[in-house]
Amino acid sequence: MGTAHLAGTTHLAGTTLAIIDDVRSIIAKSLNIPVETLTPDKRLDELGAESLDVIEIVFALEEKYDIAIPLQANDATRVSASGKPEEKSADAAGGNELPFATVGDVAEMVEKLVAAKASK
Amino acid sequence: MNRVVITGIGVVTPIGNTRDTFWSALVEARSGIGPITIIPTERLNSRIAAQVLDFKPSEHFDPRRESLLDRFAQFAVVAARSALRDSQLELTEELALDTATIIGNSTGGMNTLDDSFSRLYATHGTRAHPLSIPRLMSNAACSAISMDLGLKGPTYTIASACSSGTHAIGQAFSMVRSGQVPIALTGGTEACLTVGTFKGWEALRVLSADTCRPFSRTRSGLVLGEGAAMFVLETHEHAVARGAPIYAEMLGFGMSADAGDITAIDPSGAARAMRGALKDAKINPGDVDYVNAHGTGTALNDKGETAALRLAFGDAADHLAVSSSKGVLGHSLGAAGALELAATALALHHQVIPPTANFEEADPDCDLDYVPNTARNAPIQNAMSSSFAFGGLNAVLVLGRA
Repeated sequence: MGTAHLAGTTHLAGTTLAIIDDVRSIIAKSLNIPVETLTPDKRLDELGAESLDVIEIVFALEEKYDIAIPLQANDATRVSASGKPEEKSADAAGGNELPFATVGDVAEMVEKLVAAKASK
Repeated sequence: MNRVVITGIGVVTPIGNTRDTFWSALVEARSGIGPITIIPTERLNSRIAAQVLDFKPSEHFDPRRESLLDRFAQFAVVAARSALRDSQLELTEELALDTATIIGNSTGGMNTLDDSFSRLYATHGTRAHPLSIPRLMSNAACSAISMDLGLKGPTYTIASACSSGTHAIGQAFSMVRSGQVPIALTGGTEACLTVGTFKGWEALRVLSADTCRPFSRTRSGLVLGEGAAMFVLETHEHAVARGAPIYAEMLGFGMSADAGDITAIDPSGAARAMRGALKDAKINPGDVDYVNAHGTGTALNDKGETAALRLAFGDAADHLAVSSSKGVLGHSLGAAGALELAATALALHHQVIPPTANFEEADPDCDLDYVPNTARNAPIQNAMSSSFAFGGLNAVLVLGRA
């Protein structure tokens, strides 16, 4: 597990260890699964996350880092139903693409939002 | 068992406070959804709602009475007065003693609660308004109707989130059918468009940023609404004897619980409630011409509801006309089932199917006839109205042509 974690971390260029560790522990707590199983390449839907779980995880991260993560349950349900974010027509106003699929994606997104906040 | 009919309809809604204005907006798919103006929006991400804008409490209540009533109770009383007037029922003292008042609302006096909390926590006030508790209690609306109209029979509130109105009307229907009461005043009311409520719904991430497009592939979530719809139910015998107007006959009521997910619709649970209502009405799936769907405009509900309709109706689903009124009315939560039952009863009355507004594009997951955007003249013998609530509580009513 440790190796996979490290390998995953390397692949996440630019994501700090602190953030990936926070993301992993928040997801582990929300889904009630051991944190060691949460390698960055794991998909949230494969881990059993349903739309309400995704919403709770996003809320916990927003609170922790004082950021706003763009997400609609509409999109979260699409992920858990089909396994990947559905393509939506560009004129589908109000429907944001789900910004992440894997644990690593979540960490990257948090990293970006934290950086954007710091640069303001 | 008595036959039960609807003889009075009263509404307070984002699209009008009379039966006729309500119906014409529904038929013309004129949406009541617009920018929020009744509360401050600077802290809201989603800034649209279906608000009741044409409502001045002082036109309906003297100042002393008005201060006793939260907005949700004001809506309820005004709609109840309209329903009673519409029924042309002369309420004698004897009849009033036996008239039931069964009202559904999912919350209570949320405007009062929001104001009180804001006063106490935000501005550190030291005392709450002395009428806070009687204004915000969940039964405030049904008690206000009872007091306003002098209705003294069985009176209580049913709270089952988005199924509240439908559960209440179903309960009142059962009471009249069994002979427990000869008349019932029933319906649903909700007025919880407060900053606190919005922030809660925002956090669930189900609110649309632009509008509500039920069953459309481009649907982007639900839009909160508010309002009230009230009905006078009475035995067919009583209504005919006094020559009352009859909008529709109440035929069946079905209920179920999913005992599963707290927010997601379970097609099998929803279908069981539909089946139960058909069985109670003693009709077959093929006898239903129109379904006024719950149709919230979220990805999950509309897909799950379509699956539920297929489960409950089988092959007959392909011949059903299904429409959601939420593109016009928004989602008024505990009042929604009542507003939509008004739509269903008026569809039977006028023999016109109101359309699904804001429909843009067919979704492979939603493959029924949703009557997109344009009303349809069609013979309707029987119609269904469905509500599915958070907490997995489903309630379905079946009406027949009068």
